[in-house]
Amino acid sequence: MFSYIFMKILESRPRSYDRLMNKVSRGRVVSVKQAVVAELIASGRILDIGCGTGELAVMLIAQGASVDGFDINPKMIEIVRERIVTQNLESAFSVRHMGVDGMDGLPDSYYDAVVSTLVLSELSDDERRFAFKHALRVLKPHGLIVIADEVVPRKTIKKLIHTMIRIPMLIATFLVSRTTTRPLANLSGELTAVGFTIEKETRSHGDSFAIVVGHLAQENQI
Amino acid sequence: MNPFKFIWGMFFRLFPCPIRTVLRRVGNPGRQSPVLVTCNFYITVRRLIRKLDDMDVWLLIADSKGVNVWCAAGGEEFNTHSVVSAIKTSGIQDLVDHRNMIISPLSAPGVQAKEVQKQTGWSIRWGPVRIEDICAYLKNNQHRSEEMKRVTYNWRERLDTAIGPLFPFYFVGAIGFLLFGQHLLLNYLAISAATFFFFMLGCPWLPGRSGLTKVIVLEAILAISLVAAEIYVTPNTFSIRADLIIAMVMLFIYGSELGGLAPTMPSDLDPFLARLGIGAVGNVAFAGTVRTELINGLRELTYYREKCVSCRSCVEICPQGCWAFDDEKHAVLTKKEKCTACRACIVQCEGEAIKAEAKS
Repeated sequence: MFSYIFMKILESRPRSYDRLMNKVSRGRVVSVKQAVVAELIASGRILDIGCGTGELAVMLIAQGASVDGFDINPKMIEIVRERIVTQNLESAFSVRHMGVDGMDGLPDSYYDAVVSTLVLSELSDDERRFAFKHALRVLKPHGLIVIADEVVPRKTIKKLIHTMIRIPMLIATFLVSRTTTRPLANLSGELTAVGFTIEKETRSHGDSFAIVVGHLAQENQI
Repeated sequence: MNPFKFIWGMFFRLFPCPIRTVLRRVGNPGRQSPVLVTCNFYITVRRLIRKLDDMDVWLLIADSKGVNVWCAAGGEEFNTHSVVSAIKTSGIQDLVDHRNMIISPLSAPGVQAKEVQKQTGWSIRWGPVRIEDICAYLKNNQHRSEEMKRVTYNWRERLDTAIGPLFPFYFVGAIGFLLFGQHLLLNYLAISAATFFFFMLGCPWLPGRSGLTKVIVLEAILAISLVAAEIYVTPNTFSIRADLIIAMVMLFIYGSELGGLAPTMPSDLDPFLARLGIGAVGNVAFAGTVRTELINGLRELTYYREKCVSCRSCVEICPQGCWAFDDEKHAVLTKKEKCTACRACIVQCEGEAIKAEAKS
């Protein structure tokens, strides 16, 4: 999943983002999104943090869900809005241009699930904590949170290999896009710290990618 | 101090040098202490903390993608969202009783004060332009003198801002000579350094308004010297030719970068690349931006007197002091020739009375 690092370059070409991202990741990005959808079989109202081009949302809608998405990249939002019109998704998909700092404006106990793929490793620690805190607030009592993102491998040797492979890609990305991503060191721990209970954490791609599923801890449920 | 970040930030400033966006305590701040907001460029934060040594303040480091305030605001990497996000997610709202933040006026092209207030309830107070003045500003009841509002470009600032962005060119050239022309390496190192100091220290006295026009005279002298050496110096050596060509190339690089480095001059390189049809390199756009089009004459700064709400933002924020107020409390662009197309006045104008209109 190292190709994820090139996301920062591809974000500047939003119209071809999905196609190029799937190409450089050899289809793994789509598999990740399918895996996230598989965790959320039940229909309901879902919040997609950093919805990008809306690819995940479309998959969720196909399962019967309705999705509210937001993204900080205005070009992505433009593409999502076009997609909503061309695919007649007006009744199931709404989108807004904002960052996670706008989550304080979302209603309490409103969503059945909160999802996020390949977004949180771009945020600062404070922004991530804020996003989790508000994800907790906007979820219904038995709601789920599903996060898929790049993480730091747990074992030292894997961590070392991951770093060594990542460095040249990081340099290339940094030189072109002048920014990069930061794998999450303690995703499950951060979710637990704000009040989620982790149901499961599935690691893949040499322990460097995780899909974490959590729900509101008992004491946070109404 | 992080030695790697220090070296990277000082000598490879062409690239970002980010640090974590976080709320930092400087001294022992309390509920009434000032809140300073800055970028997450390592060198800026380090200098600010060193200057604030004996003060008690909250320092909120907001995301600018690791770029300094002026460049990041100009490139919209340090923007309204960066500041709104830092305010809302850092927890500062629970730590102080007031809702005022102090921020560098060099962030004005990117951070819109009115929008920050609308989204967070926090008011922006424009601080001094230079970090050196921050303690005097805080101790003087947050009052800015006229000098604190305007940019300068003295010899220390010229060397400081030039070494970082230009060193990578120097470094890459040195590697090139080391690999492919070792016999000229010392000539290259000496001539590049000499022309750098000569140009950067002497540029205010060179004729011309832009970096490229300033090097024209020097390039012409070197070109004449090159021709003269061919005709009159016998035996003419490869070294003499190479030395003169190295000087010409390096001066062209310094000259083309000067406008981008100097806060007192409009950028040369971006409009030049835009004219050549090079729209962007990576995520950095040249063509189609308001700034580039203002410099290239495709747009012009237009003031709508009837829309002016006398907010004085233009007067307070223009780093070149281009705007003044007339008796009727309306703005007047008194020093148009000094405008560097930074867009700060357009972004901050509360009545939206200042626009960059396309020329018909």
